[in-house]
Amino acid sequence: MYLNTALLIIHGLVAVALLGAITHQTIAAWMPSRGRRGSFFGRFRGVTPGSFANAIVVLYSVSALLGALLYLSFRVHLRPDLERAGHWPALGVFDLKEHFVSIGLALLPAYWVCWRQQRTDEPSRTPAALTLILAFIVWWSFLIGHVLNNIMGFGR
Amino acid sequence: MMPAPWFRRFAFAFGIAFATLYVVAVKLDLALFTVYPSIRVVLLGTHHSRDSVGPSMGSFMPAMYWYGWTATAALGALIFGIGAALLPERWSQPFWSGWLWVTPVAAMIGCVYLTLPWFRL
Repeated sequence: MYLNTALLIIHGLVAVALLGAITHQTIAAWMPSRGRRGSFFGRFRGVTPGSFANAIVVLYSVSALLGALLYLSFRVHLRPDLERAGHWPALGVFDLKEHFVSIGLALLPAYWVCWRQQRTDEPSRTPAALTLILAFIVWWSFLIGHVLNNIMGFGR
Repeated sequence: MMPAPWFRRFAFAFGIAFATLYVVAVKLDLALFTVYPSIRVVLLGTHHSRDSVGPSMGSFMPAMYWYGWTATAALGALIFGIGAALLPERWSQPFWSGWLWVTPVAAMIGCVYLTLPWFRL
């Protein structure tokens, strides 16, 4: 159980880093800063979005791997309690998290290629669209993970 | 470092094929393997308990299909990806890059539809 708790904390920390990187990239890709960058928001969106691509690929992969490991313990120790307590909608949104994470994981190679090409080719909206999809998946997973964790909690 | 053209074709085909095949795998319950985490057993293919008792009885020996669905879709997408990587570059010219985001969005909507029964319990 201690190993699971440690893994869960690491999973959470990696997720926070991923959340920051993907949010930064999404804002910078969809609302790039033109002109003065004096404000906090101006500096936030004034970054080069492509520079986050490598970090996002690594963080997403590590986070997904840790989540896949923790999922085994969740299925054995937590989900039966959630089922007995009738938290069916919570289990439903968690199932969606699984599905979305898998789809996002398979998109990573294309996402990485798109942002690499963006540096040389003519501008395209595809990298920004892929970033938006990944941002949605990451935010969904982060929030749903917290909801599930807060319902029953690990290491009770 | 620019990605090689063959890797670009592989990555695009893999992402699109995975999203499509994943929804198919979930809908048709095509798991490459089934995981029983409580007894640490992995069986090839999709296995369902033949017990006809209530769903909460599944908690005694829960079966996990997500790993298997993902593996099924990944295997299928790998075949498509390798196929695309082997194609001549000129064959990929008419490809609309928008499929890269349209397909996963459609797949995610499909997953929402397949998950709706959870919200009717």
